[in-house]
Amino acid sequence: MTEAADLKECKLKHMKCELNVLSKSDGSAILSQGETVTLISVNGPLDIKVQNQSIEKCYLEVLFCTKGGRPSVPDRYKEHIIRQTCESAIMGSLYPRTGITVTIQELEDYGGLLSCAVNCACLALLNSGLAMRYVFAAVSCAVDETGNVILEPTYQEVMNAKARFNFVFDSRNKNLITGFSEGIFSEAAYEEALEMSRAASDLVFTFYRDIVTKYSNVI
Amino acid sequence: MTHACNLEGRQRLQTSIGAVLIQLSRFYIHTPRHALHYTHTHVDFRCSKYHPFRVIHPVRYFTSYIERNVRPDGRKFDEHRNIKLNINTIKSAETSALVKYGNTTVICGTKLELAAPKAEDPDSGFLVTNVELVPLCSPKFRPGPPSDHAQVISNVVSEIINNSKFINLKDLCIVSDKLAWVLYCDIVCLDNDGNVVDACITALTASLKTLSLPTVTYDPETEEIKVDTNNRISLKVNGLPVATSFAIFPNCERSILLTDPNTFEEEMCGGNGANITVSWNNGFLCGILKSGGGTLSIEQEKEAIKMAKERTL
Amino acid sequence: MPLDYRRFNGPDDSVSYKRFTPDFLKSYEELLGDLLEKNNLKDEQASDEAQRVFAETDTISQAKGSAYVEIKNTKVVCSVFDPREIPHQNEFSHLGQIYCEVKFAPFSCSSQRRPPAPDAEDKALSEALRQAIEPAVCRHLFPNYQIDVFAYIIENDGSCLAAAINAAGLALTDAAVPMYDLITASSMAILDDKMFVVPNEEEEELAMKSQESKDINHGVITLSMLSELSQITSFIQIGSLETDCVIKAMDILEKECKELVPNIQKVVVRNVIKNVKRQQILHESAKEMEEILDEKYNLWQKSLKAKSYLCFSLSFFSLLA
Repeated sequence: MTEAADLKECKLKHMKCELNVLSKSDGSAILSQGETVTLISVNGPLDIKVQNQSIEKCYLEVLFCTKGGRPSVPDRYKEHIIRQTCESAIMGSLYPRTGITVTIQELEDYGGLLSCAVNCACLALLNSGLAMRYVFAAVSCAVDETGNVILEPTYQEVMNAKARFNFVFDSRNKNLITGFSEGIFSEAAYEEALEMSRAASDLVFTFYRDIVTKYSNVI
Repeated sequence: MTHACNLEGRQRLQTSIGAVLIQLSRFYIHTPRHALHYTHTHVDFRCSKYHPFRVIHPVRYFTSYIERNVRPDGRKFDEHRNIKLNINTIKSAETSALVKYGNTTVICGTKLELAAPKAEDPDSGFLVTNVELVPLCSPKFRPGPPSDHAQVISNVVSEIINNSKFINLKDLCIVSDKLAWVLYCDIVCLDNDGNVVDACITALTASLKTLSLPTVTYDPETEEIKVDTNNRISLKVNGLPVATSFAIFPNCERSILLTDPNTFEEEMCGGNGANITVSWNNGFLCGILKSGGGTLSIEQEKEAIKMAKERTL
Repeated sequence: MPLDYRRFNGPDDSVSYKRFTPDFLKSYEELLGDLLEKNNLKDEQASDEAQRVFAETDTISQAKGSAYVEIKNTKVVCSVFDPREIPHQNEFSHLGQIYCEVKFAPFSCSSQRRPPAPDAEDKALSEALRQAIEPAVCRHLFPNYQIDVFAYIIENDGSCLAAAINAAGLALTDAAVPMYDLITASSMAILDDKMFVVPNEEEEELAMKSQESKDINHGVITLSMLSELSQITSFIQIGSLETDCVIKAMDILEKECKELVPNIQKVVVRNVIKNVKRQQILHESAKEMEEILDEKYNLWQKSLKAKSYLCFSLSFFSLLA
């Protein structure tokens, strides 16, 4: 009973999603969380260069295109995070000697871009029909000046926050797949944020279920 | 009874070389005579990269050690490698620090320059940290511009330092909107044997802690700058950020945390570098990064944070 | 310059604070005066340059062979990797290739920060290093393959090419690459009638600067040679020098290189002893392993014979289940 109450308390930004938006790619999704929007296309398994091939698993490539279009070091970092997340979810050993490309296009960033991109990537992967161990959900959090933890902060809250977190959980045991923080914070705040996000990730999984039900005849 | 039966059956089945080697390595671990060889100070051929078993079947080699609660180089799961620190070995840099975590060698050199502050932030100086993974430190890196991996490490290190508020950028400003210090910290990895991020943070903090700035006089009318190198003020620092990294080995029932992983362990855990890095400064967390490797439950996450905290005390 | 988006960049217009110190404004003559004065003091001690070299092998765990060389304040670390197939090549090459890369650390020079991307000097040094060590390696033994040699200059205090060649030679021997002889190198800066063997940075810099008004000898010479064979592998001269002067310099440098050999030999011998010990441990372990293997094999044989086939198949199935 308390859990249900908890769930009611944590509200996520309104999510809207459309699958199969791109006709040429194997899987694609556009997701808006509040005002933040990302578009992702997934292609694969494809042939790749011999030097990248691995006999154990598929080679996963993640490309992150910013709105401005100019690459920078922090973008490589975002790519790395999404890549590591997808890699742990995809059953790579089923597609040896091949490559999978995930291309992310940032459309609007009003806070929580990365969690939006991760969720969108999950939906696009579902759409592409690649075998996955589990689905994953990302939730963003912020700690404000007074030490309160805010779930899914707005743009203004992100700007004023002392610390920001992004967490990605798997759907099986709600274990942490990926997590990273910005700013300085106390241990208690971190744990509170982690707990809240873990609870909130259920909402994202429910959302996935709804979307997949809606598109089940297509997928 | 069934268990014993199983064992016998298994023994008979071991005809392939790989299987025999597994049996052997198990045997070795159980032999007390060899216990000494498994401390990491004693580099033994059995832990070296030339071990035939490791070459033939690295995954089985690794798991057969992990199953026995020991790491291939003889450390316990929560044991660090020896750390060596050598400060100001390089005369050409303003300050420098050489750090060794076991075999991993990282060297950080700082350079001071002067520039006008940014228009949107006229009271702040600049701190530019870059991590260079030069091709000589590992066969995995090729010459050329920094790889994606190098950029990720660069970003992680600079985020940790910036988030920790280790130095106040306002201290680097000399005259508002006119002149400020630019602090270039170049960290070079000379030998990459895992856990580069921790070593980088140690090298960076050590060289920043020993840094002193020459006094500068700026004439606002003639815009003339004079630097007095004999009169130096040491840079104010806040706390001491310490990063602790773990590799997470995805075991069937429970993931295993390996403190201060070396390259082989990082590879086996499937991440690009260490999987979780926890940084503390002044009793506050200034960065938790988890990527790749196995999944973590709440308790394990807490355990990692606790272990990292104990290190800072 | 295009912006390097793979690194963090500082502001475009930043300059080293040393530009604003009184030392920076010193003229050539003043610097020369300082140098000669310092040198007069130094001459009294008559130091032996070859003794001032520190060398060590096996510094980098991940490399096949590696070496660290320190000459005066110059510090160079060099690593050599396993031969690999030459990338992007269609034709078969009978001789193996050596790929060299010399890089300065951004903080290696005392005057200003070096840009992290390789510049012209890096490339020139890489080429010079390749030319110097190529004749020493038995390249015919690994056709169609390439050996990577990476040298990294951690601190530059003059004669960095000589240090890089020494380090590369040692790293190649450490990696057990077949070579004709030990390679040693030394350098010299010449300024008028003064000769600075193994110059430091300021001596080198002054010798390189040309004085248009006066027609005097000035320049830097780096010479590398295979001492046992008495062959010179490379001779690099920058600056303008008279023939007599060059010949005299070469004689001195040759002597220097020869003097360096016992030093290098010592390091190599130490390395060999270490490797022999390692080999012994390896052999012993292999023997132990074999004994255990035999023991186990006999045990299995026995138990195979003793137990009935039925029992075996039972245990076999229980294993499967």
